[in-house]
Amino acid sequence: MRALIVYCHPVEGSFNAAVRDLVRARLQGAGAQVRLHDLYADGFSPVLTAPEWQGYLDCPANIDPVAGYVADLRWCDTLIFVYPTWWYGLPAMLKGWLDRVMLPDVAFLMPAGAHKTIRPGLQTVRRLGVFTTCGASWWLTRIIGAPGRRTLMRGVGFLCAPRKRSVFAAHYLMDSSTEASRAAHLARVARAVDRLIGRRGGAAVARAEAAE
Amino acid sequence: MTGSTTRAHVVFAHPCDDSFSRALCDAVVGTLAARGWEVDLCDLYAEGFDPVMSAAERRGYHTVPDNTAPVQGYVDRLRAASALIFVHPVWNFGPPAILKGYFDRVFVPGVSFRLEHGAVKPAMTHIRKLGVVTTYGASRLRAMLVGDPPRRVVTRAFAHAAKPDTLLYLALYDMNRATQAQRAGYLARVQSKMDRF
Repeated sequence: MRALIVYCHPVEGSFNAAVRDLVRARLQGAGAQVRLHDLYADGFSPVLTAPEWQGYLDCPANIDPVAGYVADLRWCDTLIFVYPTWWYGLPAMLKGWLDRVMLPDVAFLMPAGAHKTIRPGLQTVRRLGVFTTCGASWWLTRIIGAPGRRTLMRGVGFLCAPRKRSVFAAHYLMDSSTEASRAAHLARVARAVDRLIGRRGGAAVARAEAAE
Repeated sequence: MTGSTTRAHVVFAHPCDDSFSRALCDAVVGTLAARGWEVDLCDLYAEGFDPVMSAAERRGYHTVPDNTAPVQGYVDRLRAASALIFVHPVWNFGPPAILKGYFDRVFVPGVSFRLEHGAVKPAMTHIRKLGVVTTYGASRLRAMLVGDPPRRVVTRAFAHAAKPDTLLYLALYDMNRATQAQRAGYLARVQSKMDRF
């Protein structure tokens, strides 16, 4: 198992950092190789530049500005996001990772010839995990329509292998969290990671890996 | 501070001057200006806006009013307006990172919303007209299947923060396969909507 964790939070020592560490330890405990994109620590620039936009469809040269990030994305079979939800969506830093790294011929294939629509390009990703914290309540997030969750679980999920396994866990009302609520959430994250990497009920994943 | 009744703040996010988004932005600014609106264009790329919320900003996020200090100029321009219009492409089912960072850093507590006993109350009520002019690579169907996140943020979250009299969300879907005629038709539609905005 090759897992890429894309982590985004400005404050070291945040609760999201604890989630990141737990996920990483859990994966490593299961024998996975783990790579981490710590976007703030890397000083990642989330702004897609004019030259990048002009060369957006110019494959494979389009990956040059972010070649290391693309290599890790292509390497992984397990893709995990750990981040705080801001304005019901991804922090700009993480949104910029999608904008700059999820490129044509990497994450998706542009419409061409008989193919009238965008096609998935992350077919090697068989597991998708999304772990976040929300200031809003579960209800308010639902009323707004959970844009961040949908962007990753459905938008990015659509690009992954069709029979992938995916898990999502969020700590809502983060600003009024307690030690108990945070501990309960960490336990939830641990169970979700186990579900993501476990074999039980995941015959399709196991078969696909055995065939490799 | 309340917004001038005829001042429109147009926030634009696209890196290239020869893009269709730029043409849409020019149409919005031109049409509003011709109608006598005082238009303040904020071109995030041209102004070199930094979308990354820093650790210090995150720590001070809830400290009203000091939380606006790192982006005071942008907050002042927003507060001076009675109309707010975003012009941008949709990338990966969201606004470009530079615009998402504008929401993260400028729409802070005390500016766009207030927290009262944990409940979110509107604080951007000086914005009487709220609009978005955008383009999607995805088809309308695919965007719907994903849940159209960028539309929801505007029509639900921002609409709640401003409670505007007018709310406009204009989108051209399936942009990559749009014909010249479809683009021209969309541009004309944007102009006509702005004429009555």
